[in-house]
Amino acid sequence: MAEQTQKLWKDWRLHLVVLAIVIVTESIGVHSIPLGPGVILLLPMLYAVIIGLALYFTPLVKEKQSINAEPLVFLSVSVLIAKFGVNAGPAISQIIEAGPALLLQELGNLGTIFLALPIAVFLGIKRESIGMTHSIGREANLALITDKFGLSSPEGRGVMAMYIFGTVFGSIFIGLISGFLATVTPLHPLSFAMATGVGSGSMAAAALGPLVAAYPDMSEQLTAFSGVSNLISSVTGLYMSIFVGLPVTIKLYEILSRRKEAKVKGSVGYVKKP
Amino acid sequence: MLKNLKEWILVFLIIGAIMMVGNWVGYDVMPLDSIPGLAALIGISLAGLIIHRLLPFQIPSIAYIGIIGLVLTLPGVPGSEQIVAWTAQVNLLAIATPILAYAGVSIGRSWYDFVQLGWKTIVVGMFVLLGTFLGSALIAEVVLRMQGII
Repeated sequence: MAEQTQKLWKDWRLHLVVLAIVIVTESIGVHSIPLGPGVILLLPMLYAVIIGLALYFTPLVKEKQSINAEPLVFLSVSVLIAKFGVNAGPAISQIIEAGPALLLQELGNLGTIFLALPIAVFLGIKRESIGMTHSIGREANLALITDKFGLSSPEGRGVMAMYIFGTVFGSIFIGLISGFLATVTPLHPLSFAMATGVGSGSMAAAALGPLVAAYPDMSEQLTAFSGVSNLISSVTGLYMSIFVGLPVTIKLYEILSRRKEAKVKGSVGYVKKP
Repeated sequence: MLKNLKEWILVFLIIGAIMMVGNWVGYDVMPLDSIPGLAALIGISLAGLIIHRLLPFQIPSIAYIGIIGLVLTLPGVPGSEQIVAWTAQVNLLAIATPILAYAGVSIGRSWYDFVQLGWKTIVVGMFVLLGTFLGSALIAEVVLRMQGII
């Protein structure tokens, strides 16, 4: 990553575009759409990702800016992580008290397997579904699946599809549902703050933003818990996938596809185990 | 390393300036009030990146950055209150907006691949994100309630 930062500061076109986006979106400010008993929060960061994406199709942003923007996401996320850290220090006693919840919620990342894998198999997706649903499919998981199955295998195609989906739509989607779920479900905002450590910096920012905007009085505590959750995910996430996530996904896929096979006799969908 | 360090510092100065403007426009924090906090956050980020380069462990640099920020602000650490007071001036959302603006520009390149994805992938993808987010929140809720924290 560091090698890519060469001459990044010189891309004035990119920095000016981002500065303009920031001024415009922050001027628009936060808007909320009531939806049933909950609220969907529209934050400047949400407009920012959409405007940034739209500008790619104008002459203002060229391929070069888009390429340079990627390491800049990483470097600006590091400022966010530092902010997480300085909020976590003063809250250390609360964090230790909530330690069991913070550690155990990591297992919740397996929720993707139990929720999304049955849906994928139901929709008729074959072994691609293993790559798609064993995790949220960020860089580390892309590497893991490529290493284990190869990128051109069905599993590899699955994780690649999810990587592209998450890259383009992840922060927009999670930014929209985070505030809504926190206001519509009886779950405590602190629980959602702990859930923001999903293994991607920009998705964590997009998930935490609406929580902070919806519960400004708890902003520092929410940020602290989100930060620790992100820290735990960044250290343990890949190992969780290697030792728990992927084996569980493969096992569950075999059970689900066998059951589906039994129902739809004589279908051509049977996939031999490698 | 030294060359990288110079690049990092220049890039952080630009990112910091953009965050400063956002913090001013969106959250009415005057630039002079947010400069110490931004400088502290950038210093912590740089320290984390440098330590990541120097140590041989397979730990992501953001883990070092988070831990440095946490340790510096622990109650009782000299100067911790000052860092907390400075960084409190930098609104979380003002940090997040430039991140997602850069992210937006960067994902433009993936748009063509994105529209090639079938509707099934989109549906499954939404449940993947929903599953991990809701799964973690549910477990956290159960444990926090059992402990009587919430």
